[in-house]
Amino acid sequence: MKKVYLHPLPVRIWHWINALGFILLIITGAQIRFAEQLGLMSFKTAVQIHSWTGFILLANYFIWLIYYLFTGKLFKIYIPPFWRPVDFIKRSIKQAKYYGYGIMVGDKNPHHATPDNKFNPMQQLAYLSIMVLLIPVQILTGLMLWDPELFGGLIDIIGGIQIATLIHTALWVFFSAFIIVHFYLASLGHTPTAHFIAMITGYEEEHDEH
Amino acid sequence: MRTLLISAVIVICFLLSYFAKIEVALSDSIKDCLRCHSSKALTKELLSKETLSLYVDGSKFEKSVHGALECSACHTDITMKTHPRPKKIESRKAYVREVSQNCLLCHPKDALMKPYMHGALVKKGELTCAECHGSHYIEEMKGWKKTESFSGYCLFCHKHEISKTLPSKEIISLKVNQEEIKKSVHGKFECIVCHSDFSKINHPSYNLKTKSEYRTRMTGICLKCHTDAELQKNPSHYALSKTASCIECHGSHGVVSVKAAKALPINQYCLSCHSRAISMKMKNGETLSVQVKESDILGSAHKNLKCNECHKEFSTTQHPVKVYESIADFREKAKDNCNNCHKEAVAKYDKSIHAMALKKGNANAPDCLRCHDYHKTPWIKSDKVSGLQLCARCHAKETDAFKTSIHNTALTQGKKDAPACAACHNAHDVLPTNIAKINDSCVKCHKNIKDSHNKWLWNPPFRLTTFVETHFNSASCSACHISGNKVLSLVLIDKDKNKALTEKEVAKAFDVDVKEVKGKVDFNGDGKVQEGELWQFMSTLKKKVNADLAGRVDVTEANDAHRIVAKAQAIKDCEACHNPKAEFSGRLEINREDAKAIKLNLDRKAFNSVKAIPNISDFYILGSTKISIFDILFLLALAAGLCVAIGHITLRILTSPIRRRRREGK
Repeated sequence: MKKVYLHPLPVRIWHWINALGFILLIITGAQIRFAEQLGLMSFKTAVQIHSWTGFILLANYFIWLIYYLFTGKLFKIYIPPFWRPVDFIKRSIKQAKYYGYGIMVGDKNPHHATPDNKFNPMQQLAYLSIMVLLIPVQILTGLMLWDPELFGGLIDIIGGIQIATLIHTALWVFFSAFIIVHFYLASLGHTPTAHFIAMITGYEEEHDEH
Repeated sequence: MRTLLISAVIVICFLLSYFAKIEVALSDSIKDCLRCHSSKALTKELLSKETLSLYVDGSKFEKSVHGALECSACHTDITMKTHPRPKKIESRKAYVREVSQNCLLCHPKDALMKPYMHGALVKKGELTCAECHGSHYIEEMKGWKKTESFSGYCLFCHKHEISKTLPSKEIISLKVNQEEIKKSVHGKFECIVCHSDFSKINHPSYNLKTKSEYRTRMTGICLKCHTDAELQKNPSHYALSKTASCIECHGSHGVVSVKAAKALPINQYCLSCHSRAISMKMKNGETLSVQVKESDILGSAHKNLKCNECHKEFSTTQHPVKVYESIADFREKAKDNCNNCHKEAVAKYDKSIHAMALKKGNANAPDCLRCHDYHKTPWIKSDKVSGLQLCARCHAKETDAFKTSIHNTALTQGKKDAPACAACHNAHDVLPTNIAKINDSCVKCHKNIKDSHNKWLWNPPFRLTTFVETHFNSASCSACHISGNKVLSLVLIDKDKNKALTEKEVAKAFDVDVKEVKGKVDFNGDGKVQEGELWQFMSTLKKKVNADLAGRVDVTEANDAHRIVAKAQAIKDCEACHNPKAEFSGRLEINREDAKAIKLNLDRKAFNSVKAIPNISDFYILGSTKISIFDILFLLALAAGLCVAIGHITLRILTSPIRRRRREGK
């Protein structure tokens, strides 16, 4: 059994702050929206926690960004090889087939994670769009709703606070579903807790495939 | 003492009577009376302190119509046995009245009532017999009537205090002062020159109802000599003569020429006519009083001004004849007089809702004169309560609401900065509240309002005043600072021009008359704009104009905005608004250029519709105007996420025998 140092410390810190933050944001977001039905806390408390957490995640985003920019891994890990599109598409289909079928019949995972090639093609697509597009958009629309006067210029650009709300809510819906699926997929290691432990220790144990 | 005095007088009279020669052929009994009463020294002091002469000229008495009568024929209560006796007499008038009763012994009242006018005088009892006819030297009337001059004949009665009560209860004095006539321009006229329908044998009675009718009638007399042609030589005087009676200025009997007044200071010159009850007629038949009370001017802020400093076209030599359509037209033009000095105030007023209302024909709308009065223009007072009272003359409901406010408490406590109406609404440029940005007026006094709100109204982690501004931009101050009902109000705006769309512009976009605009929003005419109606209206409108709906939280009843409560009672609870169950009604406003906005009830659900996103693009209240469909999408997404996970697990469980066999096969 081999151990691979897959998740460096800054990434692990970022990840767990993000994970907790996401859960808090989703819950307080739901409280803001379903004030009457949930009743976990007052509107004011929900907003305060939501705002604090939002800013923590904003700072946290920069941990991720700075780490990956400075180590140059952003390009290696996150950017799909668009210069070899056919190969990438083939690998993506292969990976999808694995999740939909291969995993059931005991096929080997076509992707082998290494520190420089952490994500399979589907992960690459998902995380790239989430990290580079969806989270920044959620942060920006969050800021617009946090202080519509201060970010009035941005609101005008996108066409009004209703659009900001629309985007922020739509992404809240998406992230809520994503978190569930992400959590489930994380249990698909060689043991259900393998990936979770790896994200704590940094080391992914490599088993001989059955 | 008194008895001694009377006895002494009697003794002296008797002694004197033997020396004085009573030559006239009078009866003995009369001579007996005259023994004392021929003395001019015989007088009596009355209770009113008047002195009554008891002297009788025997020879004159003998020539009178009663010359053959005994004294006792009239003085029935006096005999030598009882006379003299102390008799208390109240006054000369009372004595005359009492003595006149004795005339009725021979002249029965029926006979006195026969001549019409004489009868009227007797009936009214204003005059007694002796007042006109005298007491001891009464002449025969028939002969007198023939020889007396006309004026003497008339004045026989009219020199006395006689009067006439008209059906309007007004009393006209009929007394004529002969001296006044003599001094007048008509000094040489006999009465009948003017009163030509009267003569020694004819005395008509006018059945006039009011003093004003009487004056008009009398003015007709003047016009017999002073013809229209003559009056037209002076156009203003001619115009005046058509609305005012001659006697108003010139007097009735003491007619004077008014020309002399030109030497007076201009204010006095003007007032020589305008202090009287004169009026002018408008083209539409309305009458406007042009009377000016000197006391009003002297008590006003304009007391040092000359009349023609405001009324510039008028002077002692010029009096143009003005013609106005109506009183409203007159008032509109009167503003020009104010504009001579108060240019800034008039310019501001012209933009005001008051000016707009006046222009639209609202007769009650205020102009300069309605608030500042014509000539009574008051000094601007620092006392704001009087300002409040001024507005209250028309805005009673609003004033009552204001009186419940903390502002009024401050006002009654005499606090220096306490506001009255004009503090928020301005004095002259009073605007409709939807145009006035009424929150700005709050900020005028409450200077550090953003900082003070920022003490509690901020969104962590940073305490920024922009967060306060966000709330100020989307709620009226009164929404939180009163305790009444709240409304989510949508104002129709033009996004390109970034200003409110007016009813006129909407009418133009729909190519209909302004009156039909309401019907274009509220199709079914039920007085409430349903969600479907609003979106259809917006979609049609957007084809022509880049329309949008700007929202704000406000008070449902505009008047409630006057009921500002103390700071401690203001709303600080976020959930008062940020709650799906927050109690708001809905309202749609379409502005008008020259009046208050059209306000329509709006279905509150419109704010939660997905169509609010493109149509109410810049108004969103976290919690209360959320788009409902996203709640369903959120639940669906959660369910989908769970389904993917559970479905995948299920498949993996179901396929686990395959994997086991494969492992074992290996």
